[in-house]
Amino acid sequence: MAGAFNLESDDDTPIVEYADRVLTRGELARRAEDLTTFARANDVQRMMVHSDDPLHILRAIDAAVRSQADLFIAHTNLPAAHINAIIETFAIGLVIGAEDALTGAPAGDAAPTGRIFMMTSGTTGAPKIAAHDVEALMRRAKAAITPNNRGAKWLLTYQPTGFAGVQVQLTAAASGGVIVAPAERSPAGFLQAARQSGVTQISATPTFWRSFLMTMRPGDLALRQVTLGGEAADQATLDRIRKAFPEARVTHIYASTEAGVVFSVHDGLEGFPAAWLDQSNQGAQLRVRDGFLHILAPNAMQSYVSDNAQPVLDDGWLATADRVELRGDRAFIVGRDDSTINVGGSKVYPLAIEQFLLQQTGVAEARVFGQPNPISGFLVAAEVVLDPGVDAAAARTAILAACREALASYQVPRVFKIVDAIAVRESGKKG
Amino acid sequence: MTEAEILGQISTIVTRMLDDKGLPAPAITAETELLGGELKIDSLDLAMLVRELEDAIGHDPFAEGFIEFRTAGELAKLYVK
Repeated sequence: MAGAFNLESDDDTPIVEYADRVLTRGELARRAEDLTTFARANDVQRMMVHSDDPLHILRAIDAAVRSQADLFIAHTNLPAAHINAIIETFAIGLVIGAEDALTGAPAGDAAPTGRIFMMTSGTTGAPKIAAHDVEALMRRAKAAITPNNRGAKWLLTYQPTGFAGVQVQLTAAASGGVIVAPAERSPAGFLQAARQSGVTQISATPTFWRSFLMTMRPGDLALRQVTLGGEAADQATLDRIRKAFPEARVTHIYASTEAGVVFSVHDGLEGFPAAWLDQSNQGAQLRVRDGFLHILAPNAMQSYVSDNAQPVLDDGWLATADRVELRGDRAFIVGRDDSTINVGGSKVYPLAIEQFLLQQTGVAEARVFGQPNPISGFLVAAEVVLDPGVDAAAARTAILAACREALASYQVPRVFKIVDAIAVRESGKKG
Repeated sequence: MTEAEILGQISTIVTRMLDDKGLPAPAITAETELLGGELKIDSLDLAMLVRELEDAIGHDPFAEGFIEFRTAGELAKLYVK
C-alpha cells in the first residue's frame, strides 16, 4: 500500500520545519514504514497518537492507512484518566508518540474500519469522539490543493491534534508542502517560526489574526494565502489583513467538525452571498430555517462514537446553532443560540466548567458564561458562591490554580468573581 | 484619567496576571510591546486586560470596532478622552 501521502523513502525534500531541524519526506516515509511493520507484527488493529508533533501525527496517519488500522488522535492536554478510558473502551493496542508503546489491550472482536477518530476538547467531561472516513478526509485535503498552494509552507497555528490542525497537516502533506511547527505557541513564537521558515500560507482563527497583526511588522512575511476559520470573520479584521498582505488571497471559511468545510468566501467581505442559500454551492447545500443555518454536506463525518452534538434532521440536513441574518444580497452569521462559548475559535461548554468549579473545596455554587470582548470574541467568565466561613482570597487563589492545572488555557475563567448569590431564573436555570 | 495614569493601570493589571501565573513581571513602559514576547501574556490575557480597563476607566474605545495597537503606550492613548 502506498500510504496516505505517496511518500518515497529516498525523497530528501522537507515536510516539517521545526525551529532547529527539518524532517524530510523520506525520513517520514521510513518512520511510517517502521511503524507499519511494528503494528502488523503485533497485530494492532487500533492505535492512538498522543503527541503535538506533526512527525508522530503524520506517521501515525500514514501507518494507519498502510495497515488499514483505526487511528485515534488524542489531545495532549487530556487528563490521563480519559486517555486510559479510551484505550480500554476501544481496545487500542498501540500508543504512538515520542516513544511508541504497546498497551497489551486485547485486540477485541470488532474489525478495524480504517477510520480516523478525532476528539473534541473535553478537558473536564469525557471528550466527544467523532469518526471520520480516511478517504473523505484525504479528499477534502486534496480539494484544498490549488495552484496557489503548491510547494507552500503552512504555519501550524491550530492545535495539531484538533480537526483544523489535522486538516492543515494533511493538506500540506498531500500537496508537497511544508508544515512549519513553532517552538512556542504564542504570538511572538508563531511570528518567529513564520519569519524563519518564510511561510506562505497561514490558516487561523480571527482571534489569532488580531493578535498576530499586533505582533508583526509590515514586510515581515510574504503570504500567498490567508485563511480565517473557527469563528465568523468580521469586516474590520478582514480589512486589516487585506492591508497587511495586499498580495495574498484572503479566504474565510465556514466549517464544523460535523460537516467539514462547508463553504469558502474569497471576496474579502464578511458573511456570504445570499444566493448560496437554497442552491448547491461548493458541493454543500445551505438553507435557513427559523433563522438558523442548516447544512447538507457530502463530506460530513460519519458519526459520533459518543453523544451527538448537532442534530441531524429526518431529511438528512444538519441543523446548526448558528443564527443567520439576511441583509440585501448578503447573509451573515450573527451568533450562536446554544450555551457554548466561542473563545477565539475554541468551543467551551459552560456546564463542564461549572461542574469542575463545583468540585473545588469551598465552592457552593458556580455560574459560567461568555463575556464579549474585542480581541477574542468571548472570554470565559465565572461567578462563584463560597461555603460560609471560607476565606475568599485563599479560595480564589486555590480555585484559579486548580483551573490552570486541569483546564486548557482557553477554558480557564479569565473573569472570576466571588459573589454572595447567583440568581435563578423562573425557568429554574441560572441566570 | 491621564495617559500616565492609564499606563499605571495597565501595569498593575498585567503585573497581577503574571503574579497569578507565578511569573516575574518586568517593568512596563509606554514602549513595551504587549504581545512581543517580553511579557508572557497571551491574547486571552490581552482580552481580559481590555475588559478590566473598560471597567476601571468607564468607556470602551473598541465599541465601534477594533483599533490597532502594539505597545502599552498605544493602548493607553486609546482610553484618554
